[in-house]
Amino acid sequence: MSALSHFRIVELSEGVAGEYCGKLLADFGAEVVKIERPGSGSPTRNMGPFLDDDAGPERSGLFAYLNTNKRSVAIDLESPSGLEMLSRLLAHADAVIDDHAPGWLNTLGLDLADIERRYPKLVLCAITPFGQSAPAERAHAEDLTVIQSSGWGYHTPSGADPDRPPLKGAGRFLASYEAGMEAAMCVAASLYGREETGRGRAIDISKQEVMASRVDYVLGQMVAGDMDVDISRRRFDLGGPAGIFACRQGYVYVWMSAPAHWKAVRELLGDPEWMKAFPDNWLEKGLTPDRIAECRHYLGEWLKTQDKNEAAAAAQTLGLTLVAVNDAKDLRDCAQFKHRAFFAEVEHPVLGRALYPTTPYKLSRTPARIERPAPLLGQHSADVFADPAGASA
Amino acid sequence: MTNHRRGGPLQGVRVVELTKVWAGPYAGKQLAFLGAEVIRIESHGSLDVTRTFGVADFDKAPGFMAVNPQKLSAQIDMKSKEGIALLKDLIAESDILIENLRPGAIDRLGLGYEAVKAVKPDIIFVSMGMYGNDGPLAYQTGYAPCFVALGGLSALVGYEGEPPSGMNVRYADSTFGTAAAYAALVALIHRRRSGEGQFIDVSAVETMTSMVGDNVMDFSLNGRIGGADGNRHAEMAPHGVFRCAHGDWISIAVSSDAAWRALAEIMGPPALAEDLRFRTLADRKANELELDDLISQWTGANDAESLAGKLQAAGVAAAKSASSIDLIADGHLWGRGFYRPVTDPTGEERTIVGPAWRMTEAAEITDGAPKLGQHNAYVFGDILGLSQAEQQRLKEAGVTR
Repeated sequence: MSALSHFRIVELSEGVAGEYCGKLLADFGAEVVKIERPGSGSPTRNMGPFLDDDAGPERSGLFAYLNTNKRSVAIDLESPSGLEMLSRLLAHADAVIDDHAPGWLNTLGLDLADIERRYPKLVLCAITPFGQSAPAERAHAEDLTVIQSSGWGYHTPSGADPDRPPLKGAGRFLASYEAGMEAAMCVAASLYGREETGRGRAIDISKQEVMASRVDYVLGQMVAGDMDVDISRRRFDLGGPAGIFACRQGYVYVWMSAPAHWKAVRELLGDPEWMKAFPDNWLEKGLTPDRIAECRHYLGEWLKTQDKNEAAAAAQTLGLTLVAVNDAKDLRDCAQFKHRAFFAEVEHPVLGRALYPTTPYKLSRTPARIERPAPLLGQHSADVFADPAGASA
Repeated sequence: MTNHRRGGPLQGVRVVELTKVWAGPYAGKQLAFLGAEVIRIESHGSLDVTRTFGVADFDKAPGFMAVNPQKLSAQIDMKSKEGIALLKDLIAESDILIENLRPGAIDRLGLGYEAVKAVKPDIIFVSMGMYGNDGPLAYQTGYAPCFVALGGLSALVGYEGEPPSGMNVRYADSTFGTAAAYAALVALIHRRRSGEGQFIDVSAVETMTSMVGDNVMDFSLNGRIGGADGNRHAEMAPHGVFRCAHGDWISIAVSSDAAWRALAEIMGPPALAEDLRFRTLADRKANELELDDLISQWTGANDAESLAGKLQAAGVAAAKSASSIDLIADGHLWGRGFYRPVTDPTGEERTIVGPAWRMTEAAEITDGAPKLGQHNAYVFGDILGLSQAEQQRLKEAGVTR
């Protein structure tokens, strides 16, 4: 039994944020009807990675990842008949997800400000870069500019060199994935609350705020006046010798902050001469630039000769938080991921069989599942047009 | 003490938190912001590190206060038998339990899922671990940057052609907490319909991998292993962060040929918009280093904020890279109530980082983070119905210390 299988969700989204939100709900069984432009479909169909690097609307690995378990209906929302079909779908929808610019929903007659008048039971969730009230000077945004507006960009990487550019973070869509997950959480909460009150909700999610709230531990201290603000690129950092080190092949990340970590490092390295000058509690009470540099130097020299996974296993046994820096192949080969079946094989009519990342939570009674691959463009149009109420779904 | 009904979609839901540091508390904070009553279980004997590290007064610990607004605090010593019994009584009156203790610790306390289920059959038990609850590497532990490294993100962050530098060290815990909060809500919906609770096992490393799922798909489909790629984006060029005057930086992302022409016109050289090297996305990707050089030369003398305004007016996505000063001075974040006032336990006003959403019929967010044991009387008296005398006895016996 799937937890959300009794919900019908209409997805108007055409970006990663809204599509990821829809996926998180669909993987728990919600019936997500994705409305796509006839002809070209969702813009994410035209974004890579493509199978064999050969572009095409049914060849995108991005679209395939983001749209598992959904149904695709091709509707031209600029035509009267398309709007009529939309309104028939909305009459039977529990929730609508969108990620177009502020104002776009109004053109469909879905005004966030008074949605309860027309659709009192509907949960309407709109994800935008800076929220519905974004000022004109922030009207144009991509995940890069959102990340740079949230504090994460300026402070990435840790230990930033002030003469080199701030970075975007991992991948192309970090802000979108984060906002999509936040949206799924708010939609799930609202669907739950609706069962109590019978009333829907309008939800306005700002990607900038999602990203900024992800650093609440620091930002909350700053805004309360408990922590200084300045123009340092290292303002979010923790200092100390922690960081990424090269191994024989690949890299490891080493976290060290407590005397117990230092003791473990000494054991791991066989207590060489250079370590004897360091006080046992230096990581807590004696962090100096010289010691940090020396520790990083010698530890780095040793790690260069080591296998990253063997070093990690030995370190963890001693209580040192040292882990491998995994790449995509490492993830596929990871024994832990295999044990937890984090990757699922999915068969898609064009992409064939491939391993997909699943979701990071295991629910004992209602696990998330990929039952169907991402739909072909308009694959379910006929079914949905014949039965907009979804009675046979 | 009154009860804590503040409206919002989760009004009436009670959450017990056995959490530490940031990830578990962040999950609880999300639920509290959505209207749930979230009770942190704490004790003098095992104060969270965010209440104590480098802090003189554990009731005024800045890091703790940043992550735990709108929660309640009740003191229970989990090292005592009576404390565990008391905690079980509270769990029996609750809907969700969230824990992110060390691997295995919850079982050693006698509070594993089976034990808790015995007193509360429909409990939603959320267990958060770096690698999840079981498996060959579940014994390994780490802090947030370890999750990021293991999950495949660190390898992707850094300057092109150089070793990876990884995300900022603060990344991961809050993302992990949000994944846990979402999963708990899905289980709550299932419980309403079926009467069943369940066990939820959330992995921090898998949460991270989910944030780069498309990158993993490239390996699955094409065998390609991504690496550090600076600020590159396959579908956009230019796509970068460029130096401005006063040591500031501006981010510019051009997603169409029209946006490129608009940018080129503002940059000035009359022939630039028609320059064959940059006309299409494919052209710009092929000549991206030259393009980035041209833009850097141009942005270098400009003020980041006013340049971003000019580009925005022409339809180009651009923003100043925000320092901590810029973040706190961001009028839009204040105007939307992202930064908002609450009342702290001493009655003073305090500004917090609020939720990342606005919603109709939202939960009221009125209180700062609790003092240790601030809500003992409410939890033990109002919820559990213990008499004053019994509460006093428990206190003197050190059970509620």
